[in-house]
Amino acid sequence: MPEQTTVDAIVVGAGPAGSAAATVLARHGYSVILLERGSFPGSKNMYGGVVYPRILDQLHPEWWLEAPIQRWVTRRSTMVLTDTQAVTVDFRSTDWGAPPYNGATAYRPDWDHWLAGKAEADGALLVCSTTATGLLRDGSGRVVGVTTDRPDGDLHARVVIACDGVNSFLAKEAGLYGEVDAANYTLGVKETIALPKDVIDERFAVRGRDGVDIEILGGTSGVNGGGFIYTNLDTLSVGVVLKLPKLGAQKLRPEQIIANLKAHPAIAPLVEGGEIKEYSAHVIPEAGLSMMPTMTADGMLVAGDAAAMCLAAGIWLEGVNFAMASGMYAGEAAAEALEAGDTSAGGLAGYERRLNDTFVLRDHRKLHRAPALVLSDRVQHRYPAMIANTVERMFRVDNPSPKPGLRRILNEERKRAGVRIRDLAKDTLDGLRTFG
Amino acid sequence: MRIAVCWKWVSLDRDHDVDERWAGVSAADEAALEIALLLRDAFDDCDVEVICLGPKDADDVLRSALAVGATSARRIDASAELDGHTVSAALADHLHGADLVVCGDYSIDRGTGSVPVFLAAELGAAQALGLIDVDLASAATMPLRVVRRLDGGRRELLDVSLPAVLSVEGSVARLRRAPLAASLASRSIAIAAVPGPHGRPAEAEVHPYRPRARTLPAPTGGPLTRVREILDIGGDDGHAETVTLDPPAAAGRILDQLREWGY
Amino acid sequence: MSGAPTGERWPELSFEDLIATTRFDIHERAHITVDDAICADCSTRECVVACPANLFVPTSDGGILFNYEQCFECGTCYLLCNKEGAITWTYPEGGHGVVFKRT
Ligand SMILES: Cc1cc2nc3c(=O)[nH]c(=O)nc-3n(C[C@H](O)[C@H](O)[C@H](O)COP(=O)(O)OP(=O)(O)OC[C@H]3O[C@@H](n4cnc5c(N)ncnc54)[C@H](O)[C@@H]3O)c2cc1C
Ligand code: SF4
Ligand code: SF4
Repeated sequence: MPEQTTVDAIVVGAGPAGSAAATVLARHGYSVILLERGSFPGSKNMYGGVVYPRILDQLHPEWWLEAPIQRWVTRRSTMVLTDTQAVTVDFRSTDWGAPPYNGATAYRPDWDHWLAGKAEADGALLVCSTTATGLLRDGSGRVVGVTTDRPDGDLHARVVIACDGVNSFLAKEAGLYGEVDAANYTLGVKETIALPKDVIDERFAVRGRDGVDIEILGGTSGVNGGGFIYTNLDTLSVGVVLKLPKLGAQKLRPEQIIANLKAHPAIAPLVEGGEIKEYSAHVIPEAGLSMMPTMTADGMLVAGDAAAMCLAAGIWLEGVNFAMASGMYAGEAAAEALEAGDTSAGGLAGYERRLNDTFVLRDHRKLHRAPALVLSDRVQHRYPAMIANTVERMFRVDNPSPKPGLRRILNEERKRAGVRIRDLAKDTLDGLRTFG
Repeated sequence: MRIAVCWKWVSLDRDHDVDERWAGVSAADEAALEIALLLRDAFDDCDVEVICLGPKDADDVLRSALAVGATSARRIDASAELDGHTVSAALADHLHGADLVVCGDYSIDRGTGSVPVFLAAELGAAQALGLIDVDLASAATMPLRVVRRLDGGRRELLDVSLPAVLSVEGSVARLRRAPLAASLASRSIAIAAVPGPHGRPAEAEVHPYRPRARTLPAPTGGPLTRVREILDIGGDDGHAETVTLDPPAAAGRILDQLREWGY
Repeated sequence: MSGAPTGERWPELSFEDLIATTRFDIHERAHITVDDAICADCSTRECVVACPANLFVPTSDGGILFNYEQCFECGTCYLLCNKEGAITWTYPEGGHGVVFKRT
């Protein structure tokens, strides 16, 4: 028998959550193994395309000097599409293009690799190409390590932090999740499309390292979800996010839904002529607070997508920042528990306290109505036409008929779209309570 | 008994990126190590040494070789792009005295498969190349029985005595996985490096001559006529002639002709 | 590309060309298996339309042909399938499977 390998902490998954957790533990001087099933960190990870790294100010000050970013997002648009119309709300800020920055486009195989490298530099032992296959427990049921798919692959630790992403089989095995419901998940599919940098600059009206983030409502061929376009240096990320049960219940395949989006008259001129460099897909935990698991067990914590921390306010997706933050707080709580010599669920309670006191759960609580609202049938299928038709009639010149008043147009278009005034009022109130 | 495995550190990505995420060794090189490890168990008192030509970044693949059970690992410090001659000359310096050398049949980046050929010549060893099977049981009795792929789905059985150079296809064996503890332990091992060649990348790749495609009328005569038509021989341009000779004389005649043409 | 209605707009690339842009380091063990005897009784067939890698192909005899090789390891299929035991889902051996580069 080989000697038993024991460390202070095992972090499973070298995504943003895992690397943040491992960094904190290593800095506290604990021995920590960071397990990753991919051949390098980031090789299994895809997303839409924008990171909001503010939380890194605490972990890696001046991160912007070295982080592998593509472009700084200085322009953010939300588009509402019908088959023939588009309404866009466009915001620009030059502040976002200078330190300390706001958001940036980046490729995950670059970003996650960089972040894991920082954890290694701080002393974490990164072990790639190794899948955690299950939990090791002692007689009392307490988690004492993980099994892996390597020969003699058992690893023992005083605390295990599961940062193994949306499918987290470890959190499920630990019994931290209730029944798994497909309705809580969306599928994201995306094409990375190459275009020369100057063509991108021109089409999106940006210069240098400035970039654009466009979220799209109504461009998903009738499947509840949303679309996105992000500018990288010399590629575009173009994709859709689709509510799983709705996707399964109709006839169009994901790549066809992207193709339809790309063919929309408002989108086609932006993406035309590009060469597809990569096609990718990943699932998103979409339901926020309502699907979150129990955060701690004896000897174990869950962070990032594994704990459904992704903030999916419908078409606005923030997950990497929530993963990094929850990973960081899990690392701090684990360090605290190791110091006190008590890594039971009670000893690890500092984790939930931190989540509750910071933006992680505060934002989730504030926006807890958002996913259901934005993905609701009314917002998805009725409002885009109502909004676009209203705007079209406002801008249309119907001489010699006199211009109708906005209130009248809105009322007529509301009726035409089949929206009841009571529902509109309720959704508006929900929207104000959520986003206001 | 000493078995040496030669590895080439290459980009495994179709864009030829060589940053650490995309570099490694080919499936054929990995298979070469697995064959060496399996043979080690068949011979008694046998060492397996892995030698890799490449820059410092290649140390990681050598650590992975130690983690799966290689006895020792050495890096010949060299730039990434070198021609087959330079590579085999550098390797041969470190291989004298090896009873058996196992290589991958060709590296993904250059793909000529010339290194093992040159190596066998430099070492004065027997060669068996492009193998699809190695009969491990034959190691106990020697000579080593190996199988080579020929055109048209045929197989050639070869009996190889030592010293020898083998090159294997990636399909002969899948490299075993490193046990977790060995993998962790290998992280801190320093890899011995010896100086090696530093060439500039080859300016242009040389490809064998390939005649242009052309259209021929539908066949009329027998098979021999057709072959002549396709190969352009037997015409009156004076470049080709047809001779009938017994095999040894035919071989002699071909060699003479090649010499005359300046090969 | 089976199962798609006619008259829809097709992607400009064939699906094979599209998925060929993605890198896969394929392992000989199938990490996902599908019990097509169970699928024979399935009327929803949600996996067929939803799998982003288009790996579930209905066969003429009413079963499902599944190839594991070009899989994103996303989880869509097991989340949507509601027939117990139809899909056995694991991750590929460490270091194998999909390898993203620019996403
Ligand atoms: C289409 C799409 C668009 C998105 N857009 C955005 C966006 O624009 N901005 C944003 O901030 N967020 C976005 N997100 C969300 C974001 O990607 C996630 O919230 C974030 O990646 C979560 O990080 P994580 O570290 O928790 O998990 P992951 O990034 O999933 O990392 C988990 C890691 O664990 C590894 N792993 C899993 N299981 C095991 C195991 N058993 N053993 C070993 N290793 C294992 C995986 O290989 C992976 O590296 C998007 C997501 C999708 C799918
Ligand atoms: S895998 Fe599940 S959803 Fe797909 S056909 Fe089989 S039973 Fe139906
Ligand atoms: S995991 Fe995703 S890509 Fe793989 S078979 Fe299932 S649905 Fe398809």
